[in-house]
Amino acid sequence: MAAKTKADILARHQANMALKAPAPPPVSRHARDLSADGMISPLDERIIAAAADALEAGQTHYVDVPGIAPLRAALADYLNAAFGAHCETENIIVTAGVQESRFLSIQMIGAMYDSIGIPAVAHPGVQKALGVRARRVFPLAADAERGYLPAPTAIADAVKRGCRLLYLESPARLSGAAYTDEDLAIISAALREHDALAIWDQGLAPWVDGKYSSLAAFEERPSLAATIGEAWPGMGLASWFIGYIAAPADQTPAMQSQKQIMAICTSTAAQHAALEAANLFEEARGQKLAQLSRLRRDISDAAEALNLEAIAGDALNIMALHAPEEAAARLRGAGFDYADGAPFGAPAVIRLSVNTSTMNALAALR
Amino acid sequence: MSKKKAQGTNLLYQLISEARAYDDVIVMGRGDPDFDTPAHIVAAAKDAMVNHHSDYTPPEGLLALREAIAERVKRVNDIDVDPATEVVVTNGGQEALFLMVLAVLSPGDEMIVPEPNYNTYADSLAFAGGVKVEVQTYAEDDFRADPADVRAAISDKSRALLLVSPNNPAASVIAPRDMKEMLDIAIENDLMILADDIYDLFVYDDFEHLSPASLPGGLERTLTLNALSKAYSMTGWRLGWVVGPADLMARVRELKAAISGGASVISQHAGIAALTGPQDAVEMMAEAYRRRRRLVLDALDAMGMKYGLPQGGQFVFADISFTGMDSGDVAQRILTEQHVLAYPGSAFSKDRKDYLRMTFLQPEAQLIEGMERMKVAMRDIMAER
Ligand SMILES: Cc1ncc(COP(=O)(O)O)c(C=O)c1O
Repeated sequence: MAAKTKADILARHQANMALKAPAPPPVSRHARDLSADGMISPLDERIIAAAADALEAGQTHYVDVPGIAPLRAALADYLNAAFGAHCETENIIVTAGVQESRFLSIQMIGAMYDSIGIPAVAHPGVQKALGVRARRVFPLAADAERGYLPAPTAIADAVKRGCRLLYLESPARLSGAAYTDEDLAIISAALREHDALAIWDQGLAPWVDGKYSSLAAFEERPSLAATIGEAWPGMGLASWFIGYIAAPADQTPAMQSQKQIMAICTSTAAQHAALEAANLFEEARGQKLAQLSRLRRDISDAAEALNLEAIAGDALNIMALHAPEEAAARLRGAGFDYADGAPFGAPAVIRLSVNTSTMNALAALR
Repeated sequence: MSKKKAQGTNLLYQLISEARAYDDVIVMGRGDPDFDTPAHIVAAAKDAMVNHHSDYTPPEGLLALREAIAERVKRVNDIDVDPATEVVVTNGGQEALFLMVLAVLSPGDEMIVPEPNYNTYADSLAFAGGVKVEVQTYAEDDFRADPADVRAAISDKSRALLLVSPNNPAASVIAPRDMKEMLDIAIENDLMILADDIYDLFVYDDFEHLSPASLPGGLERTLTLNALSKAYSMTGWRLGWVVGPADLMARVRELKAAISGGASVISQHAGIAALTGPQDAVEMMAEAYRRRRRLVLDALDAMGMKYGLPQGGQFVFADISFTGMDSGDVAQRILTEQHVLAYPGSAFSKDRKDYLRMTFLQPEAQLIEGMERMKVAMRDIMAER
């Protein structure tokens, strides 16, 4: 008998293109994989010890939906110190990685608004999160001159025209470009004036050398921004999947309920590891930045010598390039993977991780 | 100060939070086994932290784990799946459940749900925009879901049938004969089946667990979930899975990638150790639950309380209609006055206000004490009537 029910289900999924966008892996899959969102990092033995001790002490049971209290407190402290946020423990939800942060914030905050402004160029995970349950999308044009960030005036205009919820990345997940204080003055004023809110993905912010401006610094308490990101990236926890949401108090209950419905809680091993990573982060980050800064300069020079146009970015861990298909094909031919700009919304752009094998990739283009 | 009355899962969290304030509390509420995760599994996790902490995992999970899962569902459930295309690893049974519902149900679609049932199904269905069509089951019948009632509940909007066996909270096990009939009904009416096998290792007396996906014609229309949480005392690791036919599983994989990416590699390595390593801890725990179940049932019998016989699972769903009170109020009183946490039936279903769910996931001495206190609480309640 023809199974119509199943055929209908499959046809519905087939039509849902948003779920099919290829997303970069969280960590590189092999030595020549330059496509990953996260970076290759050793895992400090103190983190291993902290996680293992917790497990051996019986931290193997369900814990609170929004995360263990000390981790939520540590995240609040970190966000306040690093980004000028004004979070309390209650504002924090620990997630099983940044994609869960995207999904929960886009879907659950999204449900309280009738549309959501989405940049034309953004991480493919955004489309995926939207694809699970469609929302009315208000497209925000990308400005190629700004590393594909939507221009602040375009954002202000969208808010004025009735779009009261925005999803913004800073740094942009494709180019690493970040908004400045001046940009944020315009964006925050528009949000404040119209009682609007932005989901603010600041996951790449730790890799900005020098000043980074978070929307969270433009409010007295969480009210304009629900910030999301990886919990202490670069500490070797990318494959453990641990992230955060820091949201206004009136937005957290719906996300907590949904987190309970889809996950109950986040893995205890990952939470205890992250708690220790918090202590070691600043020092490790300093060393990483120095290293990334050197590497990125060399890579930038090498790209220029090849007539590949680099896209200006502030996050040092990635580099986006305008790459003709012929150059991209040569990279692939040499066994290198890169993050393709097309699923981000920017065809003919590639994103490379900045690490020691990136120079080899460019050498393959010579 | 007026406190808004919490409902459903929020009510449970409110009770859990109050329970924490009591040093001498006896927890017979949450479905969290008291045993810690077996040491060899923790050791494997520690090894993974040293050797595999930054390994890439695809959204569907590590192949070695999917192979171990395929082997497990073949061995225990007689379900045949290809680890390459028919297994997706999830963040616990809970994410598996959410994914199954999202994969199958669209707005307006009906799912037939024997009641009472695990409340997250209703929540997930609401997220998907689906409609729950309830089929009632009764303590007098040990909460048997009658296939005739399922048949009667079918409409032209029916898309799926939910079969949680052993059931939570009712602890009923769908008998093989009934299961075959359920599958026949699904085939005749072209329904998908969502099967939840999370308690499949906990089946008592002569009752028998059967997975619908193991039956001829079953696999192609069934998504089956399971998890390590209950059987291996691994609730905090968040590791479960969905298995099913490749065409649907490709959709489950897409949804998993959209919701949370992958599952922690550390938990996945722990999962490999759990499934492929020695199973004596699992058997020891299952044996302990068998003894504890007897103990709790004996205490309920001595109190003259009625219940549906728990044929499986880790709890008993007991009738408290004799109190004439709402189960939320009874649970609250037992907690506040006697420091025993049990879950009100109303949190599972609006029609089960006169039930309490008691888990037997505590050492025997604790359970004896818990049941003693329960007796005192019930006596006090009755004395006021
Ligand atoms: C029937 C049923 N399914 C799924 C789950 C989810 O379990 P977990 O996510 O802890 O694996 C539970 C938890 O209590 C349950 O009772």
